[in-house]
Amino acid sequence: MSDHGIGAGRYVGQAVQRKEDPRLLTGHGRYVDDVTVPRMLHAAFVRSDLAAATIRSIDVSEALALDGVVAVLTGHDLNGIAGSMQPSMNVENSPFPCAPLRPLAVTDVRFVGDPVALVVAESRAVAEDAAELVFVDYEPTPAVATIEAALADGAPLVHPEFGTNVPVDFPMPADPEVEALFASAAHVVEHRIVQHRYNPVPMEPRGVIAGYDNVTGELDVWLSTQGPHEARLTFSRLTGVPEQHVRVRMGDVGGGFGQKFFTGHDEQVVVLAAKHLGRAIKWIEDRRENLLAATHSRSDLADVALALDADGRILAAKFDHVEDAGAFPVGGLGGVGPFVSMLFPGPYRIPKIWWRSRIVCTNTCGRGAYRGPWMFETTAREEILDVAARAVGIDPREIRRINVVADDDQPYNTATGMMFERVTPATTLEHATQVIDYDGFRATQAAAFAEGRLLGIGIGLYIEPTSSPAGSLGVEAAKVRLEPGGSVTVFLGTAAHGQSIETTMAQVVAEHLGVPYEQVAVIQGDTDRTPFGGGTGGSRTAVIAGNATRLAAQRVREKVVEVAAHLLEAAPEDLEVADGRVAVRGTPSRAVTLAEVATAVHNVGGVAVDVPRVLEATGRYETQGMTWSNACHVCTVEVDRVTGQVTIGRYVVSEDCGRMINPMVVEGQVQGGVAQGVGGVLYEHFVYDDDGNPLTTTFLDYLLPTAVEVPRVEIDHVVTDGGNPSGVKGMGEGGAIGSVPAVFNAVADALSLVGATVLDQPLTPLRVVEALEAAGA
Amino acid sequence: MKAAPFDHHAPESVADAAALLAEHGDEAKVLAGGQSLLPMLAMRLTRFEHLVDVSRVPELHGITTDGDLRIGASTPQAVAEHDPVVADAVPLVARAIPHIGHFQIRNRGTVGGSIAHADPASELPAVALALDAVLEVAGATGTREIAATDFFEGTWSTALADDEILTGVRFPVWTGRQGAAVREVARRSGDFAIAGVAAAVELDAADRVARVAVGLFGVASTPVRASATEAALTGASVAEATAALADAALAAADGFDAVDDLHATGAYRRRVTTHLVQTALTAAIQEASGVRA
Ligand SMILES: Cc1cc2nc3c(=O)[nH]c(=O)nc-3n(C[C@H](O)[C@H](O)[C@H](O)COP(=O)(O)OP(=O)(O)OC[C@H]3O[C@@H](n4cnc5c(N)ncnc54)[C@H](O)[C@@H]3O)c2cc1C
Repeated sequence: MSDHGIGAGRYVGQAVQRKEDPRLLTGHGRYVDDVTVPRMLHAAFVRSDLAAATIRSIDVSEALALDGVVAVLTGHDLNGIAGSMQPSMNVENSPFPCAPLRPLAVTDVRFVGDPVALVVAESRAVAEDAAELVFVDYEPTPAVATIEAALADGAPLVHPEFGTNVPVDFPMPADPEVEALFASAAHVVEHRIVQHRYNPVPMEPRGVIAGYDNVTGELDVWLSTQGPHEARLTFSRLTGVPEQHVRVRMGDVGGGFGQKFFTGHDEQVVVLAAKHLGRAIKWIEDRRENLLAATHSRSDLADVALALDADGRILAAKFDHVEDAGAFPVGGLGGVGPFVSMLFPGPYRIPKIWWRSRIVCTNTCGRGAYRGPWMFETTAREEILDVAARAVGIDPREIRRINVVADDDQPYNTATGMMFERVTPATTLEHATQVIDYDGFRATQAAAFAEGRLLGIGIGLYIEPTSSPAGSLGVEAAKVRLEPGGSVTVFLGTAAHGQSIETTMAQVVAEHLGVPYEQVAVIQGDTDRTPFGGGTGGSRTAVIAGNATRLAAQRVREKVVEVAAHLLEAAPEDLEVADGRVAVRGTPSRAVTLAEVATAVHNVGGVAVDVPRVLEATGRYETQGMTWSNACHVCTVEVDRVTGQVTIGRYVVSEDCGRMINPMVVEGQVQGGVAQGVGGVLYEHFVYDDDGNPLTTTFLDYLLPTAVEVPRVEIDHVVTDGGNPSGVKGMGEGGAIGSVPAVFNAVADALSLVGATVLDQPLTPLRVVEALEAAGA
Repeated sequence: MKAAPFDHHAPESVADAAALLAEHGDEAKVLAGGQSLLPMLAMRLTRFEHLVDVSRVPELHGITTDGDLRIGASTPQAVAEHDPVVADAVPLVARAIPHIGHFQIRNRGTVGGSIAHADPASELPAVALALDAVLEVAGATGTREIAATDFFEGTWSTALADDEILTGVRFPVWTGRQGAAVREVARRSGDFAIAGVAAAVELDAADRVARVAVGLFGVASTPVRASATEAALTGASVAEATAALADAALAAADGFDAVDDLHATGAYRRRVTTHLVQTALTAAIQEASGVRA
């Protein structure tokens, strides 16, 4: 067993079978919609079909008269009784203004999908029938649907309360040194880089069942969530029910990807309605609602400039970034604002940088977290680097080699104030390009081009911030208990929704307590049973919950050893715990099982009175600053010159997430993230017209990649200790980050063979063909 | 996404189905595999008080050859796809069906439903049009036949009256040496085509093009027959046809009002159509003349 260093242990580091698999793979997962509570009603929202409008009147009488309808609630019923709707204890203290949330629109609507009324009925079908009978009289007003429109002089205001469409504008002061470097640089490249809007799209849409008991005063909620404890606090603030009387439970969750990290607006309205009516209400979001009104993501642009010397060494950068928050972003302003600029230098030595970060509001669905919410820094940087490489006349790999932060440079302070250590971007760049045979590919590409075919290769290199020390998100507690029969239960405040936490945390406990993996069960997702935790998101579970779990397991082992020492009449330091047995080192026959230890503790006279009798311990871990992981994505593509279709050839990732708890789980996270990035670059796009009308509200038009379109990812692991007790680093988001520029750059590389350039994503066949035609190719 | 309430009728004969349609008029709609109708109902893009489910009417099932290949309207697409009689008699039909959606959709979706639905991006309407298929129709007052050329009137609109049922489709069987190919561009595998071509070629004993059929889908508001392309190749030797292909394919792209939508422009559709016509016909000619591609 290795507590330290890099090597794999008995369980930690092994690709053990997932505990989740038997139920999930046989279709026996339990999601919110599988839960039924007594006398449950069903809800449907009436949503605005205009992006901006004044409400003249709302007529609910016909809807209310329909058989099976119990209530039709409007803002007049709910807005006055609602507490704060900000879904996190941290957001409340955010330096950024929060959008003026309200349960239901009363005076005006601000995006298509904005809820105006909630119908509560005996079935969802009846609720939908009634929703059609709610008549809202709107007076349309001008809307702003894009960043450019929101920034224009005299633009209509999304939130008159703000007095501006730009609630956050954070410019660095003008820097003469940066200007001087640009003025004297051998090469200057400038480019507007746009990251189009695409969404998390979990397979299971949002869902909630809320019941309020008027007698006990208890609010009981089932929720599809990434953070039941924060949800509980949110519901408490919202409804005024004291936090100890709110219980939030979750079952399996069919994906969240950030969308369910903060409790959404609509779930809160349903909870408030349940409290108001004193009846249990179920709301299962349908796919159209999910696409229209859950959360949207990405949607950034930046004017990016690099100054380089004659060899391609970066001298300075400018990064003028605007993030689109939509109308009612979820979780503060939904995005990450200045953090994008601070991460822009990424794994490169950029000595000087000027940046500005703005957040704008538009009459569109609110922004929410999505796997790597800050990822635009990587898109922007990696895309401009390829532009720069072509301008300087060197290979894209070469420009990265020249500028990458080497091991010797660390700890490395970026010009934006980030401190990187224990990262290996140079190594992963070399590994990934070796695995894909970068040089060999260049030869293949040239030969194919001689036949008229367009092949390309692209690189995405990045450093991923994980386990951020932000408020309650930087802390986690874990409770481990040796049960009377000798099995072990772990109680966590995490909220797995695809991360295999039941497996990985059981591995950690098996390793550090010394019990078989099979005997460990992990309990999450019930606020009455588990310690408070910030939820699963932000690549925080492995580092923060993992180290807390490790500590709790070690503490239980100490207690077990103490009891066993009495039972075996041996010195504690002579004992070792393995396979569920405590034995005297060197004399394996002198041993007791953990079950015997538990029995002794739980019976009169089993052990001496001065021995602690509680075989339970809590570990708490507070992250020591950001844990940085890193990876390099490289992929090859072929572009069809006639149809503009892009086919991905090989896809390689070399990544360093420190010591792996379970390599299979790490690889699954990488593969899944890549699927989302490939989707983003090539297929997924949530489109609004200029008036803010959504055009892609079904899967007929919002195109997710399928198993056919997603490449099999070849993964190389570089392992550098994470600098915390267990040596791990977070890594859950990176797959969705590095993949975007890797695919984009590969297509751009192919097109560059014929002098064609693409500027914007997604790279639809049409856009590729237009680029080819513009270049006369 | 719950449909508005409706009554579901499951008649056991065409006569009963036709009577139900006559009785309920425009409040009734035929339901077959439901792969197009149910999503539209669920999204409340359309609504009917009565659905007349013809998917289990025995007379509407079955595949026969009797001069023509006849496929009963309620025959699931997957059944026609895997039936050796279809592949042998009218290879173009067998090759078109795998391009329809995903296998789950073809298990439910019917041949007749696809044709009656008349989505311009659908494969089977274009095949029916190109091959001069005949559509058999029944109503409360009797039966009639409609030539495919007269059937497709617009997007989702056909010559069927509200109270008529499509009972079957007859495809002429070509007996000479033939080749058939379907080529399409779709955003993802299984998607409706942005542009597609179904082409068949028959050679006579002298190795001349006796018949050629080219149907386009996904490009205009109806399926399109590339008549100019067909005319340019009919009667040509294999060598002549091959030499004339590029121009003939260009002619195909000029023969329709191309649609613009979210996924492609009309100009894109023309560009791709030219290419697809050329590759589909090349493959069909090679197959007919015994060349292995
Ligand atoms: C994800 C997805 C992808 C798809 N991709 C494709 C594709 O690539 N290509 C393609 O061609 N199709 C595609 N489809 C549509 C599919 O092929 C449908 O099955 C077909 O269009 C309709 O057949 P159906 O039997 O399901 O008819 P239904 O959905 O039951 O009915 C469709 C329409 O036809 C009418 N109708 C049906 N049968 C008759 C009849 N016998 N007489 C009169 N009217 C009738 C109905 O009244 C209705 O208006 C796709 C569908 C889905 C859900």
